[in-house]
Amino acid sequence: MCDLEIPTDEHVIVGMDSPDDAGVYQIAEDQAIVQTVDFFTPIVDDPYQFGQIAAANALSDIYAMGAVPKTAMNLVGFPLKQMDISLLRQIIQGGLDKLKEADVVLVGGHSVEDNELKYGLSVTGFVHPDRVLTKKNIRVGDRLVLTKPLGTGVINTAIKGGVAPADVAERVTRQMVALNRDAAEVMNQYSVHACTDITGFGLLGHLAEMVVGSGCGLRLNADTIPILPEAIEYAAMGMLPAGAFKNKEFRQSMVEFSSSLNPLIQDLLFDPQTSGGLLICLERAAAEQLIDKLNQKGIDPAAIIGEVVPAPPEIIRVQ
Amino acid sequence: MKEIDARGLACPAPVLQAKDAIEAQQLNAVRVVVDNAAAQQNVQRFLESQGYEITLDANIDGYIIVGRCNAAVRAEPQVAPVTEAAQVKIMVMITTDRFGYGDDALGLKLMVNFIRTLNEMGPDLWRLVLVNNGVKLTVDGSEVLPELKQLQDTGLHILVCGTCLTHFNLLEQKQVGETTNMLDIVTAMQLADKVINV
Repeated sequence: MCDLEIPTDEHVIVGMDSPDDAGVYQIAEDQAIVQTVDFFTPIVDDPYQFGQIAAANALSDIYAMGAVPKTAMNLVGFPLKQMDISLLRQIIQGGLDKLKEADVVLVGGHSVEDNELKYGLSVTGFVHPDRVLTKKNIRVGDRLVLTKPLGTGVINTAIKGGVAPADVAERVTRQMVALNRDAAEVMNQYSVHACTDITGFGLLGHLAEMVVGSGCGLRLNADTIPILPEAIEYAAMGMLPAGAFKNKEFRQSMVEFSSSLNPLIQDLLFDPQTSGGLLICLERAAAEQLIDKLNQKGIDPAAIIGEVVPAPPEIIRVQ
Repeated sequence: MKEIDARGLACPAPVLQAKDAIEAQQLNAVRVVVDNAAAQQNVQRFLESQGYEITLDANIDGYIIVGRCNAAVRAEPQVAPVTEAAQVKIMVMITTDRFGYGDDALGLKLMVNFIRTLNEMGPDLWRLVLVNNGVKLTVDGSEVLPELKQLQDTGLHILVCGTCLTHFNLLEQKQVGETTNMLDIVTAMQLADKVINV
């Protein structure tokens, strides 16, 4: 949409000129609204779980901005002629239960007849204008914290291919329906420089967005990056989704892997995630405290996965 | 040979077709045709995980992956003998395709001679790193390709700068060595006991 003229005004804090997880608009001296919308086609067979995942995923964009979500609206595309309406009911119930868990109210929605089932939400939240967290503003010496393990893309593909057993499917679903709320609440107690959530571009794709234009580089320690245990096995079986290879192709020039690093791990760092964790960038001492607090809250996989380095600029080195 | 045409299919369908085929009957050889790089890598990985040896071919129709089960056991790569004294790790870094400054024709001749004589270092020669104009020694038409390949066959790691190959538009022409990055080069310098810069 580069050639379109986008209207803006002086109250826009985060808009189309620096795309982020959500848009931010200042409405008072001490308040800004944060808006996001996200919807997709089913990624699991169970309609209730699909509703839960879609809601957790949409809410995540608000948490990633350092904001608190308050209201939501449903977006539905439904093939009335081919599917029973009771399916839709279960999907929306799944979404509603996640909204309740997040203390968010549903205030409306819209549905259209569609050849393909789609569900998602538009979510609105609030934040103090000085506390807005974007992808920019990383600083040399900062540590990178990731709050959920990687691997949902490859595992979902393995489930679709019928090669993953039920208990693996259950575990990965549990992770995808988990809200990023608790992690965000803990994060907001610290002075954080930048934050995003890991979704379709994979860990390295989202890190690349953080590092572009920053003048700094990143160094990751692959051993510390949380990865779901079955993900490597399924990657070796050829279950990586095409999106992982697309992400890799797009960002390869910004990434340098140590040649001793397992190529399967290299690819998993590009695995597209659904309802992935928060990626938080903050000073070292704060990062160490943050990890302790996250672990106390039961967010065990949270780990420091790397740091911001002065050079080489805009390159991500993975060792 | 069992043939699978998985063109037009998205991941994971090509892998699943290959999986169904080799589960239905013990296949000594299987040939899978796909039309995108993601499917190629996934099918290759799957067949490797099932113990197949892969040969890969590409043409305008797509990628052809041939897996063979009963291939003769490959000879173990020749391991450089460990000397009695603690082995010294020598890294040779070649930053040019000419040896020394002055006359270019002479420089080229000397470089060819240098590479041909390198094996005299024996097992102490641990890494050969080629950067800048040095990468031109690894591409089609280089006079020292046979010597470099021979050094590689004895177990020497030859690292070729990827940024340099890209810069000279020679990425596709490289015939020997692993494409590398600056991190690997710096790490190798740190680990080496001696770095010889040419």
